[in-house]
Parts: sequence; structure tokens; C-alpha cells
Amino acid sequence: MALEISYDVIQVTLLSLYVSGCATILGSAIGIPLGALVGLKEFGGKGLLKTITYTMYGFPPVVSGLAIYYLFSRAGPLGSFGILFTPTAMILAETLLVIPLTTGITIASVAEVDRSVKETVKSLGTTPRQSVLTVMREAWVGLVMAAMIGFGRCIAEVGAAYMVGGNIKGETRVLTTVIMLETRQGHFDYALGLGLVLIAVAMAVFFFLRLLQEKELL
Amino acid sequence: MKQSQMVIIAVAVVGILVVSTAAVFVLMKEEPKKLRMATTTSLYDSGLLDYILPTFESKYNCKVDVIAVGSGQTLEMGKRGDVDVLMVHSPAAEQTFVSGGYGTNRTQIMYNWFVIVGPDSDPAGTKNATSAKDAFQRIHDNGTAGHTKFVSRADGSGTYTKELGIWSSIGYNNTTVAAFNTNWYKQAGQGMGAVLDMCEDMNAYTLSDDATYYSRVDVALIPRLSITKQGDSALKNQYSVILVNSTMWPHINKTLAKDFLDWISSTAGQDVVKSYVRYGHQLFVPNAPGYISTTAITGFVDTRLFEDVTNGTGEVPEAVLVAKDMRAVASRGGAMDGA
Repeated sequence: MALEISYDVIQVTLLSLYVSGCATILGSAIGIPLGALVGLKEFGGKGLLKTITYTMYGFPPVVSGLAIYYLFSRAGPLGSFGILFTPTAMILAETLLVIPLTTGITIASVAEVDRSVKETVKSLGTTPRQSVLTVMREAWVGLVMAAMIGFGRCIAEVGAAYMVGGNIKGETRVLTTVIMLETRQGHFDYALGLGLVLIAVAMAVFFFLRLLQEKELL
Repeated sequence: MKQSQMVIIAVAVVGILVVSTAAVFVLMKEEPKKLRMATTTSLYDSGLLDYILPTFESKYNCKVDVIAVGSGQTLEMGKRGDVDVLMVHSPAAEQTFVSGGYGTNRTQIMYNWFVIVGPDSDPAGTKNATSAKDAFQRIHDNGTAGHTKFVSRADGSGTYTKELGIWSSIGYNNTTVAAFNTNWYKQAGQGMGAVLDMCEDMNAYTLSDDATYYSRVDVALIPRLSITKQGDSALKNQYSVILVNSTMWPHINKTLAKDFLDWISSTAGQDVVKSYVRYGHQLFVPNAPGYISTTAITGFVDTRLFEDVTNGTGEVPEAVLVAKDMRAVASRGGAMDGA
């Protein structure tokens, strides 16, 4: 069976991009400042906080999905929002997965910025705000890397997306959940075709982020 | 990297996101009314809902969101008020659900058949079994003797509930079944299609709904398996619709849920269910209370079987179809042999 590029596939692909993109942006908006704060400031318990962040890299998507399901189920504490089985719920579940990654990678990147750069910045007598910006610019490659890895986790994730999205046709069906569906139905060829679409989309986005990261591509 | 290049690329990235976001919202045209239905994967995968729902949606100018999960999860969603209506096939669990006050208006709407599927060579001799119970006994005895295997869904699905029911009817209660020797009794915890694939791989038996079996045959994934026992009334797979309790959950779209129940149990709705033919078989037999067919039988039923009652019109009265159900089932088995 050849892969038919139909309305459905395009819509499903766009929804995948939308959900993963929003989760990455949200997760970066929270994780990068948080990581910079932890990375640049000295305070008690910093080591413990770093360890907790790094161990959260392995946070299982299915648990994130279950947590969001419980919170936003009508019987749950936030049920009145009525966002279960919507792309918003999927974005929240995946944002939870992105935050530890972006935070942790930012901590590491900021720490790796050469001490001399930090000293120079200080000796030039710049304001703290300027010096933070300078360090962040030096850590740029790492920060984009944080977003890339976050996006990679979201676009490839299926457990949370299925659980809180419900795989509703035309509404919460994304590439990974439709691949699950087609596989379950025994349409392996079609599922494989969709898998290629998923890989292509992920590679295209990563290529873009790589452009953003540095100019030397090859 | 130059500042200007960075700005251009950042704008491009943001642009793509904005466009995809806008496209998603444009493509998801907001309908005035929405009905959220939870159902089981086996029913969803049969394609019946994709076939019947457009008729309902256009008649009531609404959109039905279908969430297909395991039966256990379906009922749990109903309990938690996350859906408006359920379409399920676990009679005992449904009764508990309704008597617990979580749902109302439980109405039977249709059935299809479970079949015992196994290796064509039939090492357990189930083709000669006098009943589904007998077939299970033979599988058990041959399994414990090391001659064959059985793959169980073991996942809280309606199919698994049915399997447990048959085991218990021959004296193996749930605890005993769960403790069956894993050398022959494999507890998969997977969907029906995956379990059939495992049977193909392991030369094992399983209990399957016929729709999933036919769909797997259709994509040529299980060439070594065939239906070895079918047609026993113990293998009937009854589907019901249940409305989620709208007193408990005021946000429930109870009007539309009731509209759906009324429609699918009406003659018009039942006729649409009956007219669904896939893989060369009529997959579901409508049986809502008081339903009397007004349409001609289509699909697998060979009207020549009913020549004596059709008076040459090709239309078979429902009463006759019910009476000759077993003959119809027999003809389905015959059709599969040729496939």
C-alpha cells in the first residue's frame, strides 16, 4: 500500500508540529531561565537541585500523561477547565517532559562557559544583567541544543499524547498516535509510511534548529 | 553567527509555528455541538463507527469525538465524567457500572461474534468440539499436556472478560486462570490484532472478535490461523450504549447523548448498522429492543438461502434472519475457507 498524502496526514502532521512546538517553547521559556539561575548563582543545596534535575531526564512520558489525566479529568482537581482530550492537555503533558531537559542542559552549558569569559565580563564592570546576557550568548549552542532535545522528546512521544489526547480523529490525532492506531489495525505498510513522515518532519525541524545554532553546517 | 542571520532564522522558525498553529485551528472547524464517546478499540478498529456516525452527525448537525481505549478504561472514563456516552461490550462490568450510579439508560444495540481462532492443523481438536466450553476444555487439556498454547488478552478488555467467563463455566475461576502454567497460557496484555499476530507466531489459540480476525486475514498477517470454533451462543458479543450520569456530571452533553441513543436504537439507526459490510461480511447484527428490519439483507447473506421466504423480492424479513442465524454463521465460515 502506497502512502497517500491526504488531508488527514497533513492535518495530523501539522498538529504534531503544533503540540511539540508549543511544548518546546513553553518548556524552554521555563527551563532555560531556571537553568541559568541555577547555573550562575551560588547557593546551598545547588548540588542536590542539579542531581534532581538530571535524574528527571528519565521522567517517563506515560507517568506525565497519567498525572495530567488525573489532574484534568472531570473527577480531578482541575477538571472544571475541561481541557482533557484537547491539544492543550497534550501540550501540558509534554511540557512537563521538556522542562527537566531544558533546565538541566542549560545548567551544564552555562557552567561550561569559560571561567575567563565570566572573569572578563566582571572586570569590565558591566552590570549583572549585561554579564548574564554575555554568558548566555556564549552558551548559545547549548541553549539551542536544550530546545532541540526537548523537541525531539515531544515529537517522538506517544504514551502521554495517547492518554491525554485520546487520539481523536481530526482533533488530537498526531503522527505517533496514528502510527500506533495503524499498527494496531495491522496496516504496517501505512504505519511505516507515516513513520517516514515523522522522521522527515523531525529532521527538518532539527535542521532548522541547527541553522539557528551555528552557521557552519557542514 | 551574525545578528541579522539569527534574526532571519528566528523569524522563519516562529513563522512556521504560527502557520502550523493557524492551520490547525482552521482545519479544526469548531462545530456547534459535540458528543464525546468512549468505545473499545475492537469496535473502533472494525470501522463501524466511521461508517455510521456521519449519518448521525449530519442529521443532528453535530460532531462525535470518538476515544477508543480498552473496555476497562472506557468505563473508568465514564465514572470520571470525561465522556458523554459509552459503547461497550462487557455486560457484567456494565451492570456494576450502572448499579453504581455512574450511568443510565443502558440499552443493547447490536452484537457480533467471538470466534475461537487457532492453527489450521488444530492440535487441540477444537474443530470437533461440541461447544465453546468443550473447545476451551480441549485447549486446556492439550495445553497442560504440552501439545498446544493459548494467548490471552489478559488486559481487562471485553474479550478478556468473555474468555474468563468461558473458563469459569468449565470450573476454572479467575485466580486459577491467572495461575495457569505460562508454558502454554500466555498472558499478553495486548490488543486483539497483536494477540492474533502472536498466535500466528506461536501456533497458538485465542478468543477473538470476528471483525478483528477478518481484518487480520484481510491484510494477510495470519495465514496459518483459521476459525476453529464458532456459532455457539456462548460466543455472542453483545454491545450496549450507556449514558454517563448527567446528574453527577452537569457538564455532560446529555441531550445529544440521548439523541444518539434514540437514533442508534431507532429503525433508521439499526438499519445503518445492519448495512455495514466489510471483508465480505456483515459484521454487526442490530438487536435493539423492538427493532424490526425494514431493509433488505445485504452483504454476506446469500439470499438463495432464504428463497422460501423472500418471494423473489430478495428482501429477507428480520424474523427469518434471526431464526436462521446459525445458517448465516455457517455460510460465513464457508466463505472464509475459500478466502
